[in-house]
Amino acid sequence: MNTKVSGSSTDTVEVGPKTYEMPPRVGFTVAHFLTVADIDRSARFYEKVFDGQILSTGDTSGAPAYIQFANTWLLVNVGGGPTPDKPTVTLSVPDPNHINSFMNIRVADIRACYELWKSRGAEFITEPIPKYGEIRCYIRDPDGYIIEVGQSTDLTYG
Amino acid sequence: MNTESTDVHYEMPPREGFTITLFITVADIDRSADFYEKVFGGRVLSRGDTKGASGHIQIANTWLIVNVGGGPTPDKPTVTLRVPPDPDNISSFMNIRVADIQACYKLWKSRGAEFLTEPISKYGEIRCYIRDPDGYIIEVGQSLP
Repeated sequence: MNTKVSGSSTDTVEVGPKTYEMPPRVGFTVAHFLTVADIDRSARFYEKVFDGQILSTGDTSGAPAYIQFANTWLLVNVGGGPTPDKPTVTLSVPDPNHINSFMNIRVADIRACYELWKSRGAEFITEPIPKYGEIRCYIRDPDGYIIEVGQSTDLTYG
Repeated sequence: MNTESTDVHYEMPPREGFTITLFITVADIDRSADFYEKVFGGRVLSRGDTKGASGHIQIANTWLIVNVGGGPTPDKPTVTLRVPPDPDNISSFMNIRVADIQACYKLWKSRGAEFLTEPISKYGEIRCYIRDPDGYIIEVGQSLP
């Protein structure tokens, strides 16, 4: 199973015919931000389970940690109250049973991913279960976020 | 910064390894697909169906998967998915890193994106936030050298 960008830089990824960089020199690159209780704990989790590359561990002046994995970058930081650019918004760790959005990892071989990621310490809610034209299961990350792991069995989206 | 190309091409669905996407619970799949297509030049691959399939939109290096909420399923028996009940209390969000924030701000605003503020310098970057149709925040940020 090829789950690692081996022997190459971790600040670019290729999707289709295009290459994306972090930070981008042209256009834009999409990343995912998670509010976490412990930056180091989260960085280690995504490094260990998914072969993420920790590009930055954050700092005491408020910088987030950056973890590159597969086609995306994860930014993790502790929560906090409003800032001038989002004056009404408070960031906090989630209620693990009432979720709005989550990372959804589409895989080529769900059995192989389930076994590998479980062996690395990922806590799965259930084993992979067939449902709606796919086989799915969910991981809880250290802050209670769910991470969907799914393999499509009868659907193709470009 | 090293820009050497990688040897892995990500695709959906992946034929090897894995590809990371973002799922958001929405009130109206079509409304969300239209928004991400119009504002960010996303490519709508699917608008879902009445049997529960999600909408899929490719945006830059990732895919956004959108669907309506719902109660527990056998593979997540304690979890309920819902649109953000309070858009001012957030845990995670899409974070778009850009090369030219003023250009993105003007372009995306002209396409109907609602920004909380203009771009503001903070913590070694320039940032601003968009509200999507369901109240999710989307960070738009440019790192300063």
